[in-house]
Amino acid sequence: MYPRPIPETAIWQRRLYVAVVIGILIVWLGPLFAVVLTSFRSMQDVMGGNLWGWPTQFGLIENYTAVFTQTPMAQYFLNSLIITIPSVIGVLILSTLSGFVLSRYRFPGNMLVFALFVGGNFLPHQIMMIPVRDLMVRLGLYDTTMALIIFHVAFQTGFATLFMRNFIAALPDELFQAARAEGATPFQTLVHVVIPLVRPALAALAILLFTFIWNDYFWAVVLTISDSVKPVTAGLANLRGEWVSAWNLISAGTIVVAVPPVIMFFLMQKHFIAGLTMGAVKG
Amino acid sequence: MKTLWRHHRWWLTPTLLIMPAAILFSVVILASSVESLWISLHEWDGFGPMRWIGLDNYRELFNDPQFYVSLKNNVIWLVMFMLAPPLGLAIALLVNQKIRGMRFLKSLFFIPLVLASVAVGVVFSWVYTPQFGLLAIIFRFFGATAPAVLSDEHFVTFAVVTAALWPQTAFCMVLYLAGLNNLSEDLIGAGRVDGAKGWNMLRHIVLPQLTQVTFIAIAVTVVGALRSFDIISVMTSGGPFGSSSVLAYQMFEQSIFSYRFGYGAAIASVLFVIMAVFIVWYLSRIIRAEERGA
Amino acid sequence: MTDIHLPTSTDRPETAIARQDAMTSLQLHQIQKSYGAYHALRGIDLDVEQGEFIVMVGPSGCGKSTLLKTIAGLETISSGQILINGRDVSNTEPGERGIAMVFQSYALYPHMTVAENMGFGLRMAHRPKAEIDAAVLRAAKILRITDQLDKRPKQLSGGQRQRVAIGRAITRSPDVFLFDEPLSNLDAALRTQMRVELSGLHAKLGATMIYVTHDQVEAMTMASRIVVLNHGSIEQVGSPLELYRNPANLFVAGFLGAPRMNFFEVTVDSVSGRSATVSAAGLAPLSIELADGASVQKGDTLTMGVRPENLSVATDPAAATFAGQVRLVEHLGRETILYIDAGPLQCVSSESGNGTVTVQIGHVTAISADAAIGLSIDPRDVYLFSSGEAQTISTRKSILAD
Repeated sequence: MYPRPIPETAIWQRRLYVAVVIGILIVWLGPLFAVVLTSFRSMQDVMGGNLWGWPTQFGLIENYTAVFTQTPMAQYFLNSLIITIPSVIGVLILSTLSGFVLSRYRFPGNMLVFALFVGGNFLPHQIMMIPVRDLMVRLGLYDTTMALIIFHVAFQTGFATLFMRNFIAALPDELFQAARAEGATPFQTLVHVVIPLVRPALAALAILLFTFIWNDYFWAVVLTISDSVKPVTAGLANLRGEWVSAWNLISAGTIVVAVPPVIMFFLMQKHFIAGLTMGAVKG
Repeated sequence: MKTLWRHHRWWLTPTLLIMPAAILFSVVILASSVESLWISLHEWDGFGPMRWIGLDNYRELFNDPQFYVSLKNNVIWLVMFMLAPPLGLAIALLVNQKIRGMRFLKSLFFIPLVLASVAVGVVFSWVYTPQFGLLAIIFRFFGATAPAVLSDEHFVTFAVVTAALWPQTAFCMVLYLAGLNNLSEDLIGAGRVDGAKGWNMLRHIVLPQLTQVTFIAIAVTVVGALRSFDIISVMTSGGPFGSSSVLAYQMFEQSIFSYRFGYGAAIASVLFVIMAVFIVWYLSRIIRAEERGA
Repeated sequence: MTDIHLPTSTDRPETAIARQDAMTSLQLHQIQKSYGAYHALRGIDLDVEQGEFIVMVGPSGCGKSTLLKTIAGLETISSGQILINGRDVSNTEPGERGIAMVFQSYALYPHMTVAENMGFGLRMAHRPKAEIDAAVLRAAKILRITDQLDKRPKQLSGGQRQRVAIGRAITRSPDVFLFDEPLSNLDAALRTQMRVELSGLHAKLGATMIYVTHDQVEAMTMASRIVVLNHGSIEQVGSPLELYRNPANLFVAGFLGAPRMNFFEVTVDSVSGRSATVSAAGLAPLSIELADGASVQKGDTLTMGVRPENLSVATDPAAATFAGQVRLVEHLGRETILYIDAGPLQCVSSESGNGTVTVQIGHVTAISADAAIGLSIDPRDVYLFSSGEAQTISTRKSILAD
C-alpha cells in the first residue's frame, strides 16, 4: 500500500491524521456547507444581511416548503424523474445488446463501429445542437420530455456501449464457447448467460447514467422552454434569475437539485466508483 | 421461412441486436454532427430557408474579437484544468489510509463529483457574492475587501474555472484512488527494500504504475475543459461583456439568442476540430491497446 | 452403480441420414485451417472408431486445441470435411453436431446451480423438464455428485467443478466427447485421481472421446490411440506403446518419454546386408539392424537415439560402449538419474541442455558425482534417424519382443 500505512499501534498519530483529514475536508466542502447553512436561514436574516451570524430564527421548513409551493420546483422535480428514469432504462437495454454484439462477434468494421460509439461520445455537444433541435422541431417533439429522452438515450448509448462491451469482453471466452457447444443460439446466450453475468455492470452503469442525465443542463435549455417540461437543472437556473438575492430559497433549491444524485451515490457507492473507474485501472 | 431463419440467425441475430443502438446513435449523434458542418456554410435563422454563403461564416468568425476572447478562455480552461489530476492525486494519497472512519471521509470527498454542474455554479456564485459570500468573509478576516470576481473581467474566468475544478478534482481523485488500490504490492515492497521513500517512491515506483490512470484522468479533464458550458451559463452568462465566454457558450448564445444558426454552427465546427484532434489521439491509443490485447 | 443407458444418436432425427460406416464415429478428411498466411492445421486425416479414446498431444502451438475446436465447430475450417457418425458436419453449428465439450477452465456458468449447469444444453433445446431432470440425475449419479446439485460452482472444489463439467457433457449424451486439457488446472494428486476416473468413465460409457493434452503421462495412460501433432500436421498415430517403441520419426521419439531420449550424431562406418555399423568420437562401433527399405551408405551422418532407461552402467569398463564422468546424480527414490559428461560424445538437444547424456537406473545407486564410469548400449535398443527426413530407419521392434 502507498502511502505507507500508519501503524495501528500509533493511536495518537492515527487520531491526529484523521483530525487533519477532517480539517481539509471542511475546507473542501466549505462552499457546500455555506449553501446548506444558508438554506436553513429565514428570509428576514438573509434580507437583513445576517448571513453568517447565529440565525435569529430558523427557516428550514419554511424555505423548503416555499421552494415546493411558491416555485414550480415540484413540477421540475417530477419532470426530471420522467426524463431520467426511462432514459436510463433505454440506454441499459440498447447498450447491453450492442455491447454484446461488439464484444462477441468478429465482423468487418467491428472496430470502426466501436470507434464511432466511443468517438461520438467525446464530441462537443454544441456540434450536434442545431440539427438535434431542428430534428425535434420537425418531429413535433420540441419542448416535450420525449425529446430529452430520445437525445439522452442516443447520446449515452455511446458511452454505455463502450462500458458494456468492455465488461462483456472480459467474461471468460470459454463460457461462450460452452454455450455454443451446447446449442444455445446467440439470443439464448444473451438471455441465459450474458444478462445474469452483467448485472453488476448494469447496476454501476445505471447509477452513472442517472447522475449524468439528472445533471444535464445544456440539452434541457436547448430542447425545452415550458415549466411543465423542464427538469430541475434548468428550473434552478430560472429560480436564480427570479429570486436574485433570496439566497435562502436559492440554496434550498440547489439542495433539492443535488440531493437525488448524492443519495444514489451513497446508496450505491461501490457500483458508482466501479463504474467510473472501469477501464482506468485496466492494463 | 423458419429454415431460412435457422440458417441465417447466426449473423442475423447480432445484426438485429446492434441495430437499435447503431441507428439511433448514427442518426441523432453522428449525422447531426456532420449536418452542423453543412449548416455552418449557410446563413440560417433556424426557421426559414437556408442560404448558401460558403465560408463567409468562418471569415466573419476569424474577424470577430469575441471569438478570440472565447478561444483564449478555452485555453485558460485547458491549462487551469490540468491542475485537477495532480490535486486529485494529492487528495487520493491523503485519504488512502486504512483507519476507522476513513472510508466515510473518503466518500464525502467525492460529493462535488455527483453534484449537477448547475448546482456547483450556484454554490460558487454564493461563495463569490460580494459582502456576504464565503470569499468576502475570508478576505474580511484578513482585513481586506474581496473583489467582485464575477463582475471583473480580469478575474471572472479564473473564478469560474476554480468552481469547475472542484468536481473535476474529485473525479481525478476517484480515478487515482482506484489506481492506488491496484498497485503491485510486490513492487512497493521491492522499492522499500531498495530504500525508496516518500517522493522517490512516488516518482519512481508509484507513478509509473499509474500511467494508465493518468492517461484517463488527463483525457476526462481535457474533455471536461472543452465542454465547459453549464457553469459559465449559470454563473456569468459569458459576462461581463463576453469576457468569460468560451466557444461552447458563444455558439449557444449566437444560435439561441441571436438566431444565427449558421454562425453558431461555424463556431461549433471550430470547437469540433479542436476536439477532433484530441479524439483522434485518444482513439488511436485505445484502439492500439485493444489490438494488442486481442 | 446404476445401469447406464446412453441414448444413441438416433434420438436426433437429423443424424438418421446416410450412415456410411456405423463403426466409424468421427472422420477427418484433409482438415486445413489457416489464419491469413499462418497455417494452423495442414491437412489432417483421421478416422476414429466408435468407443475409442483418442489423445492428441504435441508441443504448445502444434494445433491440437485448434483441431479440437474445429471438430466442436467453435472454429471454422478453411477446407476439408468433418463427419460424425457418417454425417457431414463441416458447416453445422456446434450445438447440432452431436458433440459435448469439457473445457480447460471448466467454463461453468457461475450464476447457475450445478443442476442448471448440467441441464443447460437440454433446456436450450426446449426438452421437457422431466427429461432434463432425469438426464441430470443420471449424469450426477455416474459422477457421484448428486449431493452437489443445488450448489453454485463457486462453492465447489476444483475436482468437483471438473466433475460438473464432465457431467454437463454426459447429460447431452453426445456421439463424441471432446476434452480440452481438462486436468491442467488441478493439482498433481487430484490429476492422477481424475485420470483414473476418466479412464473408468470411458470404459463405463463406451463413448468416443477425443482428448487434448500436453501431458504425456495422460496420453500414455488413457489413450487407446495417441495422435502426435506438430506444426499443424499429424506426426504419428498409434497405441501408446506402439509410439513409444516404434516412433516414426525423430520428433515423436523425442516428444514421448521422460526423461527424453538421448540423441547423438553418428557416422556410418560400414553397411553389410540389413545392418549398419555406426560410430562417433568417444563411442565404440555399434552394429544396428536396418528397417526394410532404409537406404544407408557408408559415410552417412545419422542421428542415433537411446532412451535413458536403455543405458546401463558397465561393470567391466572394457565392455563399455562409451565412458564418461558423472556430473550430477538425482535420487528419485525408486530410480536414479545420472547426467554424464561423455567428453567428445555430445548429446544433441539433451535433457539438461548442456550436452550431457541422461541415464535412468531403476534402483538406488552408490555412484556419486565426479565418478568415472563406463556405459553400455544394447544395439537392439538403438534408434537410427536419417538426418534429412528425420525418419526412423532402424528396425522397428515389435511390441512384445523384449
